[in-house]
Amino acid sequence: MNSDGLKLNLDDDVKKIFFETFPLLTESDFDWEKTQNNYEDWDSFAQLNLITLTEAKFEINFSDDEITSINSAKSLLEITKSKL
Amino acid sequence: MNTIDRFLTDSSKANPEKIALIDDDSKFTFSELEEKVIKFSSFLNQFEEKSVISLLFENTSEFVISYLGIINSGCVAHLIPTGISQSNLQHQISSAQPKLVLSSESYFYRIKDIELKNSEKLKFSDVKELSSKYKTPLPTDYAYLIYTSGTTSTPKGVPITHSSCDFSTKNITKTLHYSENDIDLLPLQMSHSFGLGCLHTSLYVGSTLVLQKNPKPMDILESIKKHNVTTLAAIPSTLSNIVSNYYDDSLNSLSNLRLIITNSTFFPSETIRKLRGMLKTGIVATYYGLTEASRSTFMIFNDDNKIESVGKPSDGIEIKIDTKIKNDHIGEIWIRGPNVLDNYWKKEYSENKSNDWLKTGDIGKFDDDGFLYILGRVDDLINISGEKVYPQEIERIVKVLSGIDEVVAVPMKHKSFGEVVKLFVKKSVDSEINASDILSYCIKNLERFKVPAKIEFVEDFPRTDYGKIKRFMLKE
Repeated sequence: MNSDGLKLNLDDDVKKIFFETFPLLTESDFDWEKTQNNYEDWDSFAQLNLITLTEAKFEINFSDDEITSINSAKSLLEITKSKL
Repeated sequence: MNTIDRFLTDSSKANPEKIALIDDDSKFTFSELEEKVIKFSSFLNQFEEKSVISLLFENTSEFVISYLGIINSGCVAHLIPTGISQSNLQHQISSAQPKLVLSSESYFYRIKDIELKNSEKLKFSDVKELSSKYKTPLPTDYAYLIYTSGTTSTPKGVPITHSSCDFSTKNITKTLHYSENDIDLLPLQMSHSFGLGCLHTSLYVGSTLVLQKNPKPMDILESIKKHNVTTLAAIPSTLSNIVSNYYDDSLNSLSNLRLIITNSTFFPSETIRKLRGMLKTGIVATYYGLTEASRSTFMIFNDDNKIESVGKPSDGIEIKIDTKIKNDHIGEIWIRGPNVLDNYWKKEYSENKSNDWLKTGDIGKFDDDGFLYILGRVDDLINISGEKVYPQEIERIVKVLSGIDEVVAVPMKHKSFGEVVKLFVKKSVDSEINASDILSYCIKNLERFKVPAKIEFVEDFPRTDYGKIKRFMLKE
């Protein structure tokens, strides 16, 4: 698989994590740039679920600073990408 | 109030030639059993009344004779499970301070090297008849001593009086309708409260007790047919194994039983349904009890809506919920009654009581019809930002997933929430389930704060000598 293929898979996987963590999220509502403040149900426990699920799926660990900086699908994707 | 020795003597008087005990190919009538017990106790009468005699035996007639011999001699029987670890064995012996440690031939190697002060070690076959003075225990005397399993802490010695045992035995008999017409199969260790209670009940009503050393499903099913058994007492995992893996054989063997009794507060509902489906007219039952408060409730599964309940309080026993720990009618279960222990052995630990109420450490609730439900342990509660979560709620959800054998949820420290959930998972053989599969399922089926923040796969769990998981060892 080429790097574009890998990128596409990673994008899909991270997006899937978002849809699993926020079950009320619809395809039309999803936006990579949309931040935590614009999600009604992105509270501190949702943040914990998001981080735990991403760590488990990719077998990686986030630092406290990284966890704090994750506030959108895009930031989660970028930080995850940097660890793979 | 009776003393335990009366159970045998009364049944022997009523039906001397009836078979009391079957142990493999050996059969003992009540009068033969009584004679053997009297001979055995003649040896033990050399010890002062209230002396402790420790027993380490398999599930055999030798155990029954030794145990009743000790009771007859006015001594206290300290019952040791055969699966005990060497360190726990030494701990129990040091605490119980027996005058004699008795074992079967095959378990003598376990006691040979333990340190004993002012006492001896003997095999069953070393015990000879002596001429000695007959002794009579009093109802208020201790009859036996059992140590707690150590699921939550160090094993504690629980001495049980004759009167307390008499009370529980009569409650079992009345609630489950045991009678002299029964033939009771016992694939359980009698060194445990469940198995010992079954022995007492058989002796009390004068039924026939069939001992089964090996709790293998096919052996159990064959014994049921061979001896025309009417009641079966077994732990939930044995029953689940039987109905899951030996369904056709079970249909054939179990259908005529009048009673299947188990001892779990977490009896899989699928197993209950299958067993109920197999029995023609018989009943499936369980009870809730602690070593410190035997048979506090009984549950006869008549109603699918109550399948997760442990039933209603036994006659003469009061149970209440102390809601200080949780709320909404959920809280710690307190028990008061003649079945509750007075003190731990030699008061080595303070009994957790308030005005005769035993604080069990179990979390539970009553429904509107007065049925009790056990939800977990106080010690096991996970405090997530002030929300008290009992781990069994999470474990029940995760256990539904295929590919998982056992799962334990424990608290894990967290800088923002105080505690979060950590999950230990033992996978089934060849299972390919992974942490993200489990988390995805939890996110769908649990409130957010209950979703595990960490999942760790383990080969097995630390366990007590009774096979129970030591949760406290999994906590940070």
